[in-house]
Amino acid sequence: MTEVAKNIIQLRLTNQLRCLYTIIRDENTKRADFVFYSDRIIRLLVEEGLNQLPTKPKNVVTPTGATFHGYEFEGKICGVSIIRAGESMEQGLRDCCRSVRLGKILIQRDEETAMPKLFYVKLPSDISKRYVLLLDPLLATGGSASMAIEVLKQKGVPDERIIFLNVLASPEGIKVFQEKYPKIKVITGMIDDGLNEHKYVLPGVGDFGDRYYCV
Amino acid sequence: MPDSLSAQATQYIPPWKSPYIIGIAGFSGSGKTTVAQKILQEINEPWTVLMSMDNFYRPLTAEQREKAFENEFDFDKPDALDLDLMCECIKSLKEGKKTEIPVYSFASHSRTNQKITIYGVNVIILEGLYTLYNPDLAKFMDCKVYVDTDLDICYSRRLLRDIVERGRDLEGIIKQWDKFVKPNSVRYVKPTMQSADIIIPRGTDNKIAMDLLIEHIHRQLAAKSAEHLLQLKALGKVEKPIDYNKVHVLPSTNQLEGMKTILLDRDTPYDSFIFYFNRVASILISHALDFIEYVPSRADNRPVISPTGLIVKDTMFIKDEIIAVDIIRAGDCFIPSLKKMIPGVKVGKLLIQSDSRTGEPHLHTEKLPALNTDCNLLLFDAQVISGAAATMAIKVLLDYGVSEERVVMCTYLATEAGVKRISNAFPKVTIVVGSLGTSDPSRKGVDHDMDSWMANRFIDARYFGTD
Repeated sequence: MTEVAKNIIQLRLTNQLRCLYTIIRDENTKRADFVFYSDRIIRLLVEEGLNQLPTKPKNVVTPTGATFHGYEFEGKICGVSIIRAGESMEQGLRDCCRSVRLGKILIQRDEETAMPKLFYVKLPSDISKRYVLLLDPLLATGGSASMAIEVLKQKGVPDERIIFLNVLASPEGIKVFQEKYPKIKVITGMIDDGLNEHKYVLPGVGDFGDRYYCV
Repeated sequence: MPDSLSAQATQYIPPWKSPYIIGIAGFSGSGKTTVAQKILQEINEPWTVLMSMDNFYRPLTAEQREKAFENEFDFDKPDALDLDLMCECIKSLKEGKKTEIPVYSFASHSRTNQKITIYGVNVIILEGLYTLYNPDLAKFMDCKVYVDTDLDICYSRRLLRDIVERGRDLEGIIKQWDKFVKPNSVRYVKPTMQSADIIIPRGTDNKIAMDLLIEHIHRQLAAKSAEHLLQLKALGKVEKPIDYNKVHVLPSTNQLEGMKTILLDRDTPYDSFIFYFNRVASILISHALDFIEYVPSRADNRPVISPTGLIVKDTMFIKDEIIAVDIIRAGDCFIPSLKKMIPGVKVGKLLIQSDSRTGEPHLHTEKLPALNTDCNLLLFDAQVISGAAATMAIKVLLDYGVSEERVVMCTYLATEAGVKRISNAFPKVTIVVGSLGTSDPSRKGVDHDMDSWMANRFIDARYFGTD
């Protein structure tokens, strides 16, 4: 991983990562492949996100009887996905943390005002004591992410305990986080060139949710 | 691999390169096969093959075949055998190459479509009338045996064998004996006794001679094993720092340290062990995939267009097929994670086990898909301790045609000595390691050594629940 700016962390750009993105960006990629390769990227993001969590020293006895001075994970976590696209990242989190709690937030664009509107929130009751991995594959304008973060903050989650995972980000979205939420860690797979007039990331992957869920 | 170019101390010569070849000659009916089988039984190692020169009979023409069915064809003169092909095969085996041996059918007097593939053998026992006839062939042999049985006894054995076992008629047998077998034996076979190292009068009945022969072979094989071990040891002793351009240790992260602690804890329940090993395996495989070959454009240069209608720059594609090979059983621990990342991947398997007494690695089985110089080869073993098994495995892959620079070995726990040994033998191989320890494998089982777990194989036993 590479910390491109304070609290903005990008996956290390290797040929393998370029290869994965080439596949999901290609408009001719079939849904099964889009899902498969997105999931691989999501897995890398989840591992990177979990790496932000603290550990504390722990000694264990190995099968040979020797003492090993290791570490154990500290702090409880939960995942919060922004419906619908964010749910595509839940399985990747479950693959790494078997019984992780998952909250959900539904934010949709109000047809009249074109502003994001909060429709639905279900979160673990003790969320204020947990580290929150916020899941949404695309960070475009940062509108819905900001709204979700405001919900989390209202529930008592401090900024420094929120880690926002996304597959693809726009420079505009990154800027929103740097200005509004400098203490929140953003983990992204790649930062693209910009947004078009329909607020799509460029060159992007198109509508992530549509391609993942086939609408 | 240009063996001559690499320094002596950094060469790995597996036991199947320069196998020990025993040649056994003698008259028809002299008891060559019985002697050969007795040796095979006494050596009692799976990497020994018994090869009959009968496989190298020349295929007959239609006319010759007709004669053969009337007992009029001379099978007993040296010309009836394809000695050149035999020389070629033995030479190839002596060089440690995978070699195909023809199969001859006496029913049709021709070579069958079948071929016997021989690879990875340590000892070859070759028996036949003319084993010692051709000096070019004899020079490949380490032990030349001539079974000297009286011709009359040979005749009576042959009569019995051909009538009882092969159901042939007496007249034909007598005709063949008088016309071909006897004169050829005296003229061509008998003189080859001169080039033998050991002459055994009366065959296996001669207990003293057999004991001496077998004892000699045992001594030679023990010396060969000792040399192999010594060479492996020397590979680990080369004072050369690890080349971190080729050996990549996963950067330490909170998650990796936490998972390592769980995996090393002897009280971790099985389901957690499997779960966390699979997670670590995914991270390792992902890291290994950074070292395979990629190309920036498709073969036909077609651009990649995103759904937003823009041409995607900075594209990358995997070049050539990825093939996985695992060393049974520890390498198997990676396969579930691998299948999740590359669902259709072909997986080859190698069974290499160390002799419990000497620690010498032996190749028991190799089941590999078609390999060539262009494939991206991922080799898996959960732990590298002495590095001997991995060194042997890589040698097999190279013998099968894989290029050294395209082998990526992937392992979780490795000792520095083990990694050095592999790198010294194969400097172009990439090695991806989860955790590199300094433990000395020779201090196996020493409790107060903080890294003693490094020197013990435990991952596979825990993963499969057989500890």
